[in-house]
Amino acid sequence: MNSIKYFIVLGIAGVLFACNKLDVKPLNIIQDEDVFSTENGVNSYLATLYKALPIEDFYYRNNDGGFNRGWEHFWHPGALCGELSGPYGSLGEGAYGFGYWPYDNIRNVNYLMSTLPKYAANFDPAKVRQWLGEAYFSRAYFYFALVKRYGGIPIIKVVQDYRTPMEQLQVPRDKELDVWNFVACDLDSAALLLPETSQRGRANKYVAAALKSRAMLYAGSIAKYGAVNYVDGEAREKGFVGIPASEAARFFKQVWDAAHLLEGHYDLYTRKMDDKVKNYTDLFLDASSNETILARDYSLTSNTAHSWDATMTCRYMTADGLSRAYPTLELVERFTGPLPIVNPDGTPRRFNNPAEIMQGLEPRLLATVYFPGATLRGLTFDTQRGIYEHFSGSAEAELGVNPPNMPFRHLANNTNVLWPEVTGRRVIGFTGVSTDGDNTTRTGFYVRKYIDYNKPMADCGLYKSTQSWIDLRYAEVLLNRAEAAMELGNSGDATAIINKIRDRAGAAPLSGPVTIDSIRNERCKELAFEKQYWWDIRRWRIGDRILDNTRFHALLPYYLNDEKKFIFLRELETFQRPYTFDKRFYYEPLPGGELGKNPHLYPNNPNY
Amino acid sequence: MQKIIKGLLIGLLALSIASCSKTDNYPGPNAAFKGRILDKTDPKNGNFLTETAGIQIKLEELSWSATPSPQTIPSKDDGTFEDTQLFAGHYRVTPMGGPFWPVAGVELDINKGNNTHDIAVTPYLKIVNLAHRFEGTTLVMTFKIQAPVTENLPRLLDVQSFVNVTKYVGNGATIPQYTSDKTMQKIEANWSDAIAQQTFEIRVPDIKAGRVFFARVGARVDDSYKQYNFSEEIQVQLP
Repeated sequence: MNSIKYFIVLGIAGVLFACNKLDVKPLNIIQDEDVFSTENGVNSYLATLYKALPIEDFYYRNNDGGFNRGWEHFWHPGALCGELSGPYGSLGEGAYGFGYWPYDNIRNVNYLMSTLPKYAANFDPAKVRQWLGEAYFSRAYFYFALVKRYGGIPIIKVVQDYRTPMEQLQVPRDKELDVWNFVACDLDSAALLLPETSQRGRANKYVAAALKSRAMLYAGSIAKYGAVNYVDGEAREKGFVGIPASEAARFFKQVWDAAHLLEGHYDLYTRKMDDKVKNYTDLFLDASSNETILARDYSLTSNTAHSWDATMTCRYMTADGLSRAYPTLELVERFTGPLPIVNPDGTPRRFNNPAEIMQGLEPRLLATVYFPGATLRGLTFDTQRGIYEHFSGSAEAELGVNPPNMPFRHLANNTNVLWPEVTGRRVIGFTGVSTDGDNTTRTGFYVRKYIDYNKPMADCGLYKSTQSWIDLRYAEVLLNRAEAAMELGNSGDATAIINKIRDRAGAAPLSGPVTIDSIRNERCKELAFEKQYWWDIRRWRIGDRILDNTRFHALLPYYLNDEKKFIFLRELETFQRPYTFDKRFYYEPLPGGELGKNPHLYPNNPNY
Repeated sequence: MQKIIKGLLIGLLALSIASCSKTDNYPGPNAAFKGRILDKTDPKNGNFLTETAGIQIKLEELSWSATPSPQTIPSKDDGTFEDTQLFAGHYRVTPMGGPFWPVAGVELDINKGNNTHDIAVTPYLKIVNLAHRFEGTTLVMTFKIQAPVTENLPRLLDVQSFVNVTKYVGNGATIPQYTSDKTMQKIEANWSDAIAQQTFEIRVPDIKAGRVFFARVGARVDDSYKQYNFSEEIQVQLP
C-alpha cells in the first residue's frame, strides 16, 4: 500500500511541473526573424517569388498546369493560333487555360511587404527599397497574368487572416479596369523604388517599365477593340470583363511613356551585323546581350535545364526527345509574301536543290525558321514529301484534285522506302515529311529561334539545354511603343522604330506609309515563337476572324524523278487540322474550384 | 491462442467487409427532359433548322445551388433535344450557342419521370427559295436570305455550303473540300434591302458522279457564336 503514497507524490510533482510554461520557439519552423533579419534570408524569400513568376518560358504551355511543365516544349501556345502546326487538336485544348490562380504567391508578396518594414533597421535603406520594389514588381506580374486571362479578379493587397469571418475572406471580383490600374500602379511603385541596374534575372527600374509597356498595351487594346468585338453577358454588364473604349488612349499613353523610359539604357543587339543571320540567332544565345531586359536562366547543376534543342528539331539532329510543332507557311509568308515556287505559266518552278528557295530571303526569317536545305550540326534538313515519277501541268491543277493522289506520286511513312524499289532514292527525307505521325515536320519547316546550333548533337538531349529564356527584350519594348504611338496617331515615331527593327533584321525599310497592320505584322515576325502571338490575337480581338475553321499550309518539297529536279507545292499541312476561335475565348473561364469556394466570384465570364 | 487469433481475424474481416456495404441513399438520375426547339417564325410550327449539337440547352440546377455549374444538352439534328439522366429538381433552362436572337432562361421543375418542354426562338436569318442544278461536275445552289428581325441584326458574315454523304449534314459534319474558302461567299455587311433582294449562288466543284450527297447552305451573322442558319437538306446526285 505504500506505493500509493509514491503515486500521490509523483502526481503532485507532475502537476507542479505542468505549471512550468513551455514557451520555447519551435525549432522545426522557420520564423520571420530567421528570414527577414539577414540579407540571405530576404534574398531566398525573393528567389521563391522569382521562381513562381508567371514567365511564359520554354516550359510554359496553355493547358495542363501551364507553368513548369515537363520536357514537351512543343505544346507551344503558337500551335493554337497558326504560328506553328503542333499537337493541339483544337483550340479547346488550350483556350480554356489551366485555372491559373496564384493567390498563394500573391499572399507571399503581401507578407513580404507587410513584414519587411519591421526588420528594416537591420539593413541599408537602399536594399530595403530594392526588395520592396521587387515585391511590387512581382505582385504586378501576378496580377497581369491573372487579368489578361480572366478580366476582373479580386484585388488582395493585404495578408488575409484565416480567423476572419468567411464572408470577408470571400472577396468579390473587382472590375477589369480597376485591376489594370492596379497593375500600372504597382509597376509605378516598383519603378520608383528599384535601382537603375540589377543582378541578372532580377528586376530593376527599367524591367518594371518594360513590363508596364507590355501590360498597358494589353489594356489599351482591350479597351479599344474589346468595345467592338465582345460577348454579352452579366460579367460584361457589371464591368468584370471589358474596359470602356474611352480609357484606351490613356493606356496607350502609358505604354509610350514606359517604353520611352528605356531609351538609351538598352538597345537592339547588333554585335555581329556583318552576318545578319548570325547576329539574329546569337541574340537569343548570347548571355551578355544588351537587348535582354529580363531573362530566366537554367542550369544542369540546379536541375532546371530545359529541352528546347531536343524538342524543336527532329531526332535526326538531336540526341534524344522528339519534335511535334512546326512553323506554318502562313508565318513564313508574313516575311516573304507568296514564295517564288510557281512559274508565270502556273507550272511549279524547278529547283536543282531545295536550298535554293532560301536565296534572297530576309536574314531574320532564316534565323527564325529552318528551311528545307538548311544545315544544323553538320546535317542538312533533307525534307522531302515524296517523289513524282513525272510532273506535267500546273501546281493548281494538281492541288485542285482532292486528295492529290496521282498514281505517279509516291509518299512514304519511313525512310527505308525507296523508289524505284531496291535501287532508287529515299522517298522521304530523314527530317520528313512522313505520311505517319508528327515527329518530323508537317509543314516543311522547323523552328530555329533559340536553337543552340553550337551545341554538339550528343548534348542535345532532354533536360540538357541551358540557353536563357528572354522574357523581356528591347525589341518588344520598341514594338510596344510603335504600336502605342500608332494608336495615338504618332506615325512618325512608329515608322522610325519599325525601320530600326527592320534594319537589324536585314529587311528593307518600310516602303509605304506605316499602318497598324504593318506594325502588327512586324511584331508577329520579330516575336515569332516567343509566346506572345496568342495574347496578341486575343487583345486585338482578331482571334475569331483569323481562326474560323482555318487550316494552315505547308511548303512541301518533292523530287521529280525524270527531271532530277525539285519542286515545292503549297499544300495544307499534313494533318489538315481546322482551328476555330470561339468568341468567348477572349477570356478564360474562372476556375471551377475557386467558384465553388467563393460564390462572390460569380458571375463567371460570358458564355461559360 | 491460435483459435483466438483466428477468431479475431475472422471477426475483423467480417467487420471490414461489412463496412464496405454502405448503401447510397440518394436517388439516382431518374428524370428525363426532352422537347423541341421551335422556329417562332415558321408558319408550319416546324423545328428550328439546325445540326447535331448546333444548339445547346443550358440547364442550371437552382434547387442544388444558387450558382450551379451549368450543364448542357446538345440539340439533335432534327431540332429536338433529350436527356434521360437528370436529377429531379428546379432548373433554369436557356437555349444558347445557336444562330438565334438570345432569349432569357425559363425556370421550371423537372420531375421524376418524363418532362417535355418546347422552346421557341427566332432565327437571325432564313434561307428561302433554295434551288440547285449541276453544271458539269459543279453543284450550283441558289437561294435568297430573309431576316425575320432586322433591327440591331449583327453584321452578316458569309454564306457557305455543306455537303455530306449522310443526311447528318452541317458545319460539324461536312466534307472539307466542299466546305472551304472556295465555296464560301463573304458578305461582310450590315443587313440591307440589297441583300434581301440578292440571289446568292454557291458553286461546289468536283462532285463525284454516281454518289448520293446531302447538301445544304448556311448563312451567319457576327454574334457571340457565329453559327450558321441552315437551309433544309437537299438530296443530290450527279448521274
